[in-house]
Amino acid sequence: MIMGETKPYEPKIAAFLCNWCSYAGADLAGVGRFQYPATIRTIRVPCSGRINPLYILKAMANGADGVLVSGCHPGDCHYMSGNYVARRKFALIDSLLKHVGLEEGRVNFSWVSAAEGVRFAEVVKGVTERVAALGPNTGVFKVDGGGTDE
Amino acid sequence: MSQSKIGAVLIVGAGIAGIQSALDLAESGYLVHLVEESSAIGGTMPMLDKTFPTNDCSMCILSPKLVECGRHLNIRIYTNSQVVKTEGEAGNFKVTIKQKARYIDTEKCTGCGSCASVCPVKVDDEFNQGIGKRKAVFKQYSQAFPNAFAIDDKNCLFQKHGTIKGKDVCKKCVEACQAGAIDHAMQDKEIDVEVGSMILNPGFKVFDASRLVYYGYGKIKSVVTSLEFERLLSASGPFDGHLVRPFDQKEPQKIAWIQCVGSRNAKINNNYCSGVCCMYAIKEAVIAKEHSHIPVDTTIFYMDMRTHGKDFEKYYDSAKNQHGVKFIRSRIYEVNEAEDGSGDSVIRYSTEDGQILSEQYDLVVLSVGLEAGDSSKELSKILDLKVNKFGFAELEPLTGVNTSKEGIFAAGVFSGPRDIPETVMQASAAASAVASLLSEERGTLVSEKQYPPELDVAGDVIRTGVFICHCGVNIGSIVDVPAVVEYAKTLPTVVMATEKIYACSQDAQASMKALIEEYKLNRVVVSSCSPRTHEPLFQETLKEAGLNAHLFDMANIRDQCSWVHMNEPEKATEKAKDLTRLAVVRASMQQPVKPVFMAMNHAALVIGGGIAGMTSALSLADQGYEVHLVEKDTTLGGVARRFSKGFRGEDMKAFVAELVESVNKHPNIKLHVGTQIKEVGGFLGSFTTTLDNGEQIAHGVALIMIGGQEYQPKEYLYGQDARVMTQLELDEALVSNDSRVDKAQNYVFVQCVGSRCEENPYCSRTCCTKSVKLALKVKTQNPAAKVFILYRDMRTYGYFEEDYELARRSGIIFVRFSENEKPVVTKEGETLVVTVKDHVLGCPIEIEADVICLAAAIVAPADGAKLSQWFKVPLNKEGFFLEAHMKLRPVDFSTDGVFMAGLAHSPKNTEEVIAQAKAAAGRAGVALSKEMVESAGLNAFVDKRKCTACGTCEAVCSAKAVSVDMVNRVAVVNDALCKGCGACASSCRCGAINLRGCTNQQIAAMLNTF
Amino acid sequence: MNSIIDDIRAAARQLLADGKVDVVIGYEKGSLPLKSTPCFVRSPQDADKLIWDETCENNLATYAAQTAGKKAIIAKGCDSRALMVLLQENQLVRDDLYIIGVSCPGVIDKNKIEAETGEIIEATITDGKVSVKGIACDKEYNFADVKDATCQTCRYPNPVIVDLKIGGSVEVPQSDFADVIALENKSDAERKAYFKEQMSKCIRCYACRNACPMCYCQECFVDCNAPKWLTGGVDSAENLLFQTGRALHLAGRCVECGACSRACPQGVDIRALSRKVNKDVKEMYNHESGISEDIKPALNVYSADDPEEFLVKE
Repeated sequence: MIMGETKPYEPKIAAFLCNWCSYAGADLAGVGRFQYPATIRTIRVPCSGRINPLYILKAMANGADGVLVSGCHPGDCHYMSGNYVARRKFALIDSLLKHVGLEEGRVNFSWVSAAEGVRFAEVVKGVTERVAALGPNTGVFKVDGGGTDE
Repeated sequence: MSQSKIGAVLIVGAGIAGIQSALDLAESGYLVHLVEESSAIGGTMPMLDKTFPTNDCSMCILSPKLVECGRHLNIRIYTNSQVVKTEGEAGNFKVTIKQKARYIDTEKCTGCGSCASVCPVKVDDEFNQGIGKRKAVFKQYSQAFPNAFAIDDKNCLFQKHGTIKGKDVCKKCVEACQAGAIDHAMQDKEIDVEVGSMILNPGFKVFDASRLVYYGYGKIKSVVTSLEFERLLSASGPFDGHLVRPFDQKEPQKIAWIQCVGSRNAKINNNYCSGVCCMYAIKEAVIAKEHSHIPVDTTIFYMDMRTHGKDFEKYYDSAKNQHGVKFIRSRIYEVNEAEDGSGDSVIRYSTEDGQILSEQYDLVVLSVGLEAGDSSKELSKILDLKVNKFGFAELEPLTGVNTSKEGIFAAGVFSGPRDIPETVMQASAAASAVASLLSEERGTLVSEKQYPPELDVAGDVIRTGVFICHCGVNIGSIVDVPAVVEYAKTLPTVVMATEKIYACSQDAQASMKALIEEYKLNRVVVSSCSPRTHEPLFQETLKEAGLNAHLFDMANIRDQCSWVHMNEPEKATEKAKDLTRLAVVRASMQQPVKPVFMAMNHAALVIGGGIAGMTSALSLADQGYEVHLVEKDTTLGGVARRFSKGFRGEDMKAFVAELVESVNKHPNIKLHVGTQIKEVGGFLGSFTTTLDNGEQIAHGVALIMIGGQEYQPKEYLYGQDARVMTQLELDEALVSNDSRVDKAQNYVFVQCVGSRCEENPYCSRTCCTKSVKLALKVKTQNPAAKVFILYRDMRTYGYFEEDYELARRSGIIFVRFSENEKPVVTKEGETLVVTVKDHVLGCPIEIEADVICLAAAIVAPADGAKLSQWFKVPLNKEGFFLEAHMKLRPVDFSTDGVFMAGLAHSPKNTEEVIAQAKAAAGRAGVALSKEMVESAGLNAFVDKRKCTACGTCEAVCSAKAVSVDMVNRVAVVNDALCKGCGACASSCRCGAINLRGCTNQQIAAMLNTF
Repeated sequence: MNSIIDDIRAAARQLLADGKVDVVIGYEKGSLPLKSTPCFVRSPQDADKLIWDETCENNLATYAAQTAGKKAIIAKGCDSRALMVLLQENQLVRDDLYIIGVSCPGVIDKNKIEAETGEIIEATITDGKVSVKGIACDKEYNFADVKDATCQTCRYPNPVIVDLKIGGSVEVPQSDFADVIALENKSDAERKAYFKEQMSKCIRCYACRNACPMCYCQECFVDCNAPKWLTGGVDSAENLLFQTGRALHLAGRCVECGACSRACPQGVDIRALSRKVNKDVKEMYNHESGISEDIKPALNVYSADDPEEFLVKE
């Protein structure tokens, strides 16, 4: 890299992972040494049902370049129905965020089970690509960027 | 018995049954010795991809239990071990366990895998059914407990060859292990333990398909077993869940399953049905379709589709109708390799109407049956247990779990094929039987760890200490650990940061304790591996240092950092810093969390006085608890009073009478007969139930065992002609010189009356066997009688297959009809005529019948809805009670403190009802054994000032732990019930409800550092 | 209309005289033309203050929860839906509530008229015509042309829960989510620009929140200090966070009364957010809030086969 040239852009992605499935899936990716980009910053929550939609908005406002939300597959919830309750919130926030102009791909949702190590790595790869393609978060929610972008 | 009993239990086999029994017993005050032949606990379940009928991920649902069992203070696990000798009697056994050398110290091994990465020996991986390789030093699967490797001395170069010419042949693993855990000099050892009772659940082996040469297994590469197929599907399997043929990695587009491979086969003396293969084949077909990104054509070749379990029939229907799985009723002649060089297999088979066809498939899956394992047989021999002709342990009739030896119980496939829920039920039932036997010894041998008093840190300046782990080279070779330490020192609240080679090692723990004291730390952060495995260990250290265990957080910089960013050390280091920072933020805002204790009333309420209710009541009473048994009828016994014989020929009248007498006599049982429940209030530990007669009962747990009902047929002239009767009625008629049967010569049994239909889309499970039994009884009483059984699929699962075979040999004629062409009963004059289309002849046949016996369905109890509301427990669509989890919590409800068993759960036979009733008593006993109701305390909590009493939290809480107090207009969390999922907190618009350990404030503060 | 108002007054008088309720919440004439104001009638003789016409725009459900004692309330379709949700959410006690239902022909969008006529000096409404004398000009409008935007898409003009129904029913107009679809069909950039423009107008006076019958939190998330969801600045990004957060809090609860938009002094298109959520809730869960006692708020329940279109495509 030539001095002065900007470093290739590496997004930072806030990843909310449920303890019982997706976090375990991420661990399994580690055990299997399935490589993926070093872009996610994990926040472990007991259940995807714990994820308040405001967390997603706040992550965007605070300048995370992307958000990944992942929980147990429907039916697998450790707490029976946490992900079912969450699923409706996720569907609505996803649709609304796109509607108000947040780029598709900033906020991403997935179900990853405790047995899906490879898939976890694939999901992170995919999400990283999507977020990287969008560039840094100067989006509609970013507090010190949203007012002045474009 | 003069000798006093011993409050410890030996459990042989650490599959799901062993784990369940161990947890139940250890949790209720018994010391458990858990012996496992292999190097890790878990059994067969970790090998499975998904489980039917919920398609749950097998590993996901099992792994919390593995961790719980592995860490339990009162469960001693002996891996690589076998029982070699026992003596003594019920209450007092001496057992010798032989433990094979593992050559790795599980205390020191961190599970990092450096040894395996340098080991030069590759062998077939048994866990993956030989598809794929493992090293000679290996861990069965990544979530295995103990989280430690083991050396397979049959393959290890050093173990085989040792030192040649003064030089070690290979000790690469020793060099690689920075933890110093490997000890090639380790010896086998014998351990003696004293126990009061034993539970045996050594599992099974799958049928060796190469014994039946016509299936081509072992010769044709595209023929695999169903367990191999599970590994192909599994995301953690040899192809990472990518569905390919193992030999050429081609994605199969056309897959066939062949049922009953090694089951229902009298020629090889396996004349029993394995009971699970129909469902797993359907599941595999459905999952294969879901898994593959290309369309997959799936076909199941079968004799009878046996989907007799709860919700199985619906699963079968949806496989057929929604997923397009094809089902062909057929006989298989042989499987041959295709001649086109594709590696495909060709199945030659005949259909029902006698056509002989051939069809080529990319992959053929053999649905192999379950057999008694070699070590199971060995165990039976050592313990001198009665076994049946198939080598499975023979249980005492109508006990559910008793072996032929007093004080020794069995669960799982040890006593015959059964699926996971039945296995789990039996495991809890066996635990219950042990608890009854050893009730006086409860709590005598268990230990509880003592900790120094907790320091009060409230209001203190936050002082965080940060420990960054190298994990040998696992973290340190990628992440710049010293840089992360320096970074951590700059973070707010951090007063010290240091690095450790292995943070989890004993010396590191000791140093951590010293540093907590030296620096007066009141928050601790460890950046190392996964909190899922190591958080409890570090929390233990905090407790030993006098800190509340929750003043802590972990950053996972190994599994989720160094291991997955091996080629990007700089980025991994940046990430490790960020993860450490997030953990410091979270920990700094963490408050001490105290477990919450609430009163536990040690009485149980059992609702229903049938066999299930009486069995549960007796078992709880024997465990030493006060039991209130409520029965709305004026006499006990339920529907079983109408049975003459059990499925193994037991005298049911005598059995029921004896049970009733025991219940009547038991000093711990208070009967409330001829009365019903009027009102229920409360929750685990403190229920209050009011009866119709005004009596109030205070109890800590409730067991719902209200039975089921026989369907009242509307079809086949039932109710219009007395000669058309239900199975129960025929059973009664056959033992009471009823004139309708006295002179009868022609009997026609009609199956699936009110079952497997639109109204009741489930199988009633017992009726095929019951009809076969009744038909045989008719034949015995009147050998000249002509007996026809009109059926859709004969579902004589397990050993009942023998009865089915006997029936055919006795001349009973079986005629199959299809769902769309049900038999028709007409009356011509005084003659009853049954018309049915014969599937072999393809034309209608007419049978003049003297007696028509209808296999009427078992339908849900009438009172279910009321109890469902009172106890806040759900019913399924058909009105049966819905358990917390169909696989692993078959007698629990998601509402704590409420349990169920018997026909109220789903149709089943008496033996199964008894096992389930004991299981419910076992689970209830675990709850009752606690002095207090304890909750870890990571619960939801309410800010009363903000709460608007809108009830959203109450609506989304699956544990029914939150309710709105309408007087004070505020939501109230019941700590006894809260599971800490946080769904309430994220649904609360007002921000009034929050979750300890994961507060909105903590998450927001973490996000603020982005 | 005359017979309706007579009936409303008679009913109010009777209820108060019989002591069945302590107060009747209805509308009285406001101090400005074409403007009504909520009124609280506590004695039978005051019942004549009550009016009923196309200016009765406030959602009185907002006041019901804040008024102690037994109360009767005049409810249009949207008011009744709000009452239904408030009952479901424990904000009202059914026994304390007497609902006088009146079918609603829609209310007048005064801002639209004043945009042409300037400040209105005098106005009369007769037979579907609105005659206005304004500072800039005088004009007569067809009511249909100055009907509030909310009322044009209203699917529930008839009250869904009543104790007493006054007057006949009005025909339910066919309505889809054409307004939302139009916005959806725009490009991402156009929508982003549109919301940015709208949000830049917002001064965060919270008039929308205060007018909303469903915004009854003791402390709104925007006012929360621990944690602080917003930084406190007023810029389009923060405003959007507020409005988005609020729209999500109304998901499955918004009764589409339009009180928020009418209350907004800046003319922010607040309904562009809530209508989108309402459309999604309808399409995904076949749910409309407050139309039946048996239908629980959409986010309080779930179904095993809820749509999952939002999942990241792999």
